[in-house]
Amino acid sequence: MTKKPDYARYGRRRLMKGAGLAGLAGLAGCIGTGDPEGGSGGGDGSDDSNGSDGGDGSNSSGDDNGDGGSSMASEIDVWGWDVAARALTISAEEYESENDATVSVEEFGRSAMKDRLQTNLLSGSGAPAVSMLESVDGPSLIDTGSVAPLTDEIEEAGIREDFVSGKWEALTVDGDIYALPWDTGPTAVYYRRSVYDEYDIDPDGIETWADFIEEGQKLPDDQYMLNLPEGDLSGVWRYQFRQLSGEPFLESGEVNIHNEKSLRVARNIKEIYDADIAANIEGWTSAWFSAYGDATIASLPSAAWMEGTLRAELPDTAGDWGVFKIPALESGGPRASNWGGSNLMIADQVSDEKKARGWDYLEYSLATEEMQLAMYNEYGLFPALETTYEDPVFDEELDFYDGQAARALFAEVAQESPGYRFTADTPEVSQAIETELQRMINGEQSPEEAIQAAAETVAENTDRDLA
Amino acid sequence: MREQRRKDAVWRFLTYAFVITMVVVMMVPLYWMLVAATLPQEQFLQFPPRLIPGTAFLDNFAALQERLDFVRTIRNSVLIAVIYTLLSLVLCSMAGFAFAKYEFKFKEPIFYTILATLVLPIQLLVIPLFLLMAQLDWTNTFRAIILPWAANPIGIFLMRQNMKSIPDALLESARMDGATEFQIFYRIALPTMRSSLAALAIILFLFQWDLFLYPLVILETADMYTIPIGLAQLTGFQRIYYDQIMVAATLAIVPMVVLFLVLQKQFVSGILAGSLKE
Amino acid sequence: MATSDETDDRIGQGYRRRVRMKIQTATRQSRRAMRPVWDRVRFARQDLTAATPTLPRVAYLFIAPFFLLFSVFLAFPVFYTLYLSFFEYQGVGQGSLFWIDLGPVYIEIPQIAQLNFVGLGNYARLLGNDLFWQSMFNTSYILVIQVPLMIGLALALALALNASFLRLKGVFRTAIALPVSANLVAYSTVFLLLFNEQLGFLNYVLAGVGIGPVPWLTDGFWARNTIIAAVTWRWTGYNMIILLAGLQTIPQQLYEAAEIDGANRWEKFRYVTLPQLKPVMLFVVVLSTIGTFKLFAEPYVITGGGPTNSTITIVQYIYRQAFVNFNLGYASALTVVFVAVVSVFSVVQIKIGGED
Repeated sequence: MTKKPDYARYGRRRLMKGAGLAGLAGLAGCIGTGDPEGGSGGGDGSDDSNGSDGGDGSNSSGDDNGDGGSSMASEIDVWGWDVAARALTISAEEYESENDATVSVEEFGRSAMKDRLQTNLLSGSGAPAVSMLESVDGPSLIDTGSVAPLTDEIEEAGIREDFVSGKWEALTVDGDIYALPWDTGPTAVYYRRSVYDEYDIDPDGIETWADFIEEGQKLPDDQYMLNLPEGDLSGVWRYQFRQLSGEPFLESGEVNIHNEKSLRVARNIKEIYDADIAANIEGWTSAWFSAYGDATIASLPSAAWMEGTLRAELPDTAGDWGVFKIPALESGGPRASNWGGSNLMIADQVSDEKKARGWDYLEYSLATEEMQLAMYNEYGLFPALETTYEDPVFDEELDFYDGQAARALFAEVAQESPGYRFTADTPEVSQAIETELQRMINGEQSPEEAIQAAAETVAENTDRDLA
Repeated sequence: MREQRRKDAVWRFLTYAFVITMVVVMMVPLYWMLVAATLPQEQFLQFPPRLIPGTAFLDNFAALQERLDFVRTIRNSVLIAVIYTLLSLVLCSMAGFAFAKYEFKFKEPIFYTILATLVLPIQLLVIPLFLLMAQLDWTNTFRAIILPWAANPIGIFLMRQNMKSIPDALLESARMDGATEFQIFYRIALPTMRSSLAALAIILFLFQWDLFLYPLVILETADMYTIPIGLAQLTGFQRIYYDQIMVAATLAIVPMVVLFLVLQKQFVSGILAGSLKE
Repeated sequence: MATSDETDDRIGQGYRRRVRMKIQTATRQSRRAMRPVWDRVRFARQDLTAATPTLPRVAYLFIAPFFLLFSVFLAFPVFYTLYLSFFEYQGVGQGSLFWIDLGPVYIEIPQIAQLNFVGLGNYARLLGNDLFWQSMFNTSYILVIQVPLMIGLALALALALNASFLRLKGVFRTAIALPVSANLVAYSTVFLLLFNEQLGFLNYVLAGVGIGPVPWLTDGFWARNTIIAAVTWRWTGYNMIILLAGLQTIPQQLYEAAEIDGANRWEKFRYVTLPQLKPVMLFVVVLSTIGTFKLFAEPYVITGGGPTNSTITIVQYIYRQAFVNFNLGYASALTVVFVAVVSVFSVVQIKIGGED
C-alpha cells in the first residue's frame, strides 16, 4: 500500500514536534528531576496525600500563615496505641487549652498501627506528624530515613540531661537523636506476698538467681516460682543480658551475642528451666492472667508498667503484691534492667510547620514534669523524665503493694538501668535467640552451642562479622 | 430387589452420617465463638471450658460500640463488598466468556499472565498501590479499595472453566438466528451459569470482606474502617480484648449468612436440561 | 470447537471485507484532498484498525474493561516489585524523581526509595538462606497434606449435597459453608484458644477418650497439623460450594442416558460426573494450591511461625523481611521467586489437568 510512507512521515513529524515541545518546557524549568525549588521532597504529611501545590517551595495548604519556616501548623495528628494513646489525650487537651492549635490523637491496635505507620513512612506519604515509637523499633525505623532528627531541638531546649540516660542509646544513630523518650520500663520482680509468706520465702534474702531458684524449690509441684514462656525466651534473655550491660552489637557493628555475658544468661535460663520452678504459659493470654490471678505463679519479673495491667486485670489481688530488685547473676552484680518503654517521634515527610508544632507538643508532653506525672498517675506510664523522681508521689506508700513505696524502687532501678544498643537488626537477634534458646531448653544443645549458633545466624543474615 | 433397597438405605444412612458429622465439626468453633461473645472476659477461658452461652452479649457489644462504631464498620464492609461483587461479576463473566468461547491472538499468554497475578502475595503490592492511590488522591475512599481488584483473576478463571461446558451448538444456533454476540452472552450463556455466578458472588464477596492489609493502609479515618481493621484495633498491646473480638466476629458473620440465604435458590440442578435438541 | 472456528471465520471475513472497503473508499476520496490534516488522521486510524486482528473483534470488547482495570492497577505494582528485586533498599527517598510544573497543573512523582543496585545479589542470598528453605519446606509439607484432604472432603460433601434423596440441603449447605464467613483474625484466635495444650477444648475432649494432652502448639510436628486443621476447617465449605455449582451445570440428560445404558452409581460418577466436573475440579485444585502456598494469616496468628520455625510459611518469611527488617529489595526478590515457582506449578497442574 502506498499510504504507508505518508502516514509514517506524518507520524514521525508529529513525534519530533512533541519532542521539541518537551525540550522547550524542560528549558523553561517546568519539568525536571530532583527537587523542585525549595522543596523538602516527597509528599506531604497528614492533611493532603498528594504532592505539594504550586512552585514556591513545599509549604502546603492547610497550614496557617505560610510565611516561611518559623511558624507552626495549627493542626497535627498524633498516633498511638492502647493506654498510651489515651494518656496522650490528657496532654493534648491541656496543650490545646494553652495554645491555639488542634492536636488530634488517634488510637489504634498496636500491630495495626505499626503496619500502617511503616507503610506510610516507607511510601513517603500519609504519616502523622507525631507517632509512638518503641525503643526496640527505633534503629530500624530510623535507618530508613523516614524519621526526623531532633538533635537541634533537644539541644536548644537543653533537656537531654533531664531524662534517664539509658533511654538515649536506642534513639541515637550516627550522633543524631531521633525521638524524645516518654516512658521507661524499669524492671523488678513482682511477687505475691501471701505465697511467699506461706512457704517462708524471704524476698530480702534473695540476692542472686541461685538464691531465687533455691527459694523456688520450696513451692509445691503445682505452683511455680515464675513463668518462662517458651514463646518469648528472647525477651527474657534480653532483659537479663541488658542487666549485665551486654550489648548485642559492638559499636563497630560486629555481632556480640555470643560473649561471656550472653553465656551466663543462657546458662541461667537453662538452670531455671531445669530446676523445674517455671511454668510455661504464653504471656498476655487469659491463661497467663488467671495463673497469676490464683497465684499459681508466685513471681513476675516485669516492668513498672505492669502495675497498671495488674490493677486492671486482677483487681482482686491488690494489696498482695510486693516488689524486689531482679536477682543478680552473681553475688554483688547489677540488679537493674529495662523492659520496654516508648518514645515519640516526628515523621520526616511532614512539612516544617507541622514539625515545629509537633516538637512543641512533644516538649510539652514529655519534658514537663506536670504532664509526665499526670500520665503516670492516670495510666501508670513510668516517666523517663528523671526530674520527676523528686516528686513526693514516688515516696508514697501504696496499698497495692501492702504499704511498700514501690515507685521509689522503680525510680532507683530506672536510674541504674544500662542502655542497650538496639539496631536495625534487632529483630534478627530476637528471632535467632528465640530459636536457639528453645532448642537449648528442649535439650538439643548446650548453652554455649545455642548462643554460638544464634550469633552465627545473625551474622549471616545481616552480613556482619562475629566479634 | 430387597438387596437393592437395603443397599440404598445403607448408602443413605452413611451419607447423612457423613454430612452431619461435618456439620458438627464446622459448627463447633463457631458455636464456641458465639458462647465466648456472651461471656465476660474472665469466664472465657476456664477449664473445663464452658459450653452454655452466658448473658453478657449486650454488655460486650456496648463495650465494643464504645471503642469503635462497629455498626458503621459493618455497614462499610457490606457496602464495599456488595458494590465490588456486582462490578466484578460483570467484568469477570464477560472476560471469562471471551476466554472460554472465542479464539483470538495472545489468548493463552494473556490468560496465564492474569493467572500468575493470583499468586502474588498482597503484602508487597501494598506499598506501590498505596503510592498510586496517593498520587490519584484516592486515599480514604472506597473506590480505592474496590477498583484495583475488580479485575479479579479468580473470577475470570472460574467463569472460564464453567463456561467451557456451555455447548457450542447452542451458541451456534443462536448466531444463526441472528443474535448479536452480546445477546448470546446475556440471554444464553449467563442464565445457564446461575449457580456458578452465585458461587462466584460468594468468592468475590468473601475476598473483599477479608481484605485487611490493603484497606488498613488506604482507609485513614475510623468512620471508613472495614471489619478486619476494626478487629485489628482490638488487639492492643497489653491486652487482647477477646470478648469484644468475639462479639465483633459473631456479628460479622451475619452479612455472609444473609448472602448465602439470598443466593440459595441459585443453586439449582439441571438448568441445561432439555436445552439441547436431540 | 471446529464449528465455532468456521463461524468465527465467516464473521471475521465479513468484518474484514467491510473494513477493507471502507479504506479503499477513503483512499480514493482522500487522494483527491490530501491536504486537510483531519483526513490524514482518519486515514492513519483506519490503517491501524485494519492491521489489528479482528477475529472476532467482539472478544476484545468483552475483555476490555477487565483488562483496563487489570493493567492500571495490577501492572504497576507487579513491575515495581520486579524492579525492586534487583536493588537493596537503603531508605526512604529524598526529593522527587520527576516533576512537571505548568502553572495550574503540577505533577510530582516522588522518589520512592534510595536504592543500591545489587543485581542478582538478593537472589543469591535467598538460595543460601536456611530460613528460606525451611519456610519452603513447611509450606510444601502443609500443602501436600492439606490440599488433597480438603478437596477430597469438599468433593464428597458436594456430591452428598447434590444427591436427590437428601433433605435439608439448604440448611446443610449453609452450615458447612459458614466457617468461610468467620473473619481470619477472629477464627485464628479461636483456634489458638481451642488448641491450647492445657486449657483448650480439643484436648479436653480428647482427654475424655483417654488420649493424653497433645502439644498442638508447642511441638513442631503437631503445630503443622494444627495449621492444616485450621485451614481445612475454614476452606472446605468454600470449595464445596464451588464444586456444587459445577455439579449443577452437568446436564441431567447425561445421567439419564447413562442410566438407560445400565450404569450403576459408581460408573455414573466415573464416566459422567468426573469428566464433566474436570474444569471446575481443576479450578478448585489450582486455586487451593495457590491459596495454601500463600498461607499467611493462620500461621501468623496461631503459631507465629514457631515453634522453632516449624510453621513459618514462605509468605510469612517475606512479610518479616519486608515489614520487620525492612529489606524491601530482598523481599521483592523472594516474591519474584515465589511467584515463579507457584506459577510454574499451577501451569503444570493446568496442563496435566488436561485442557481441551
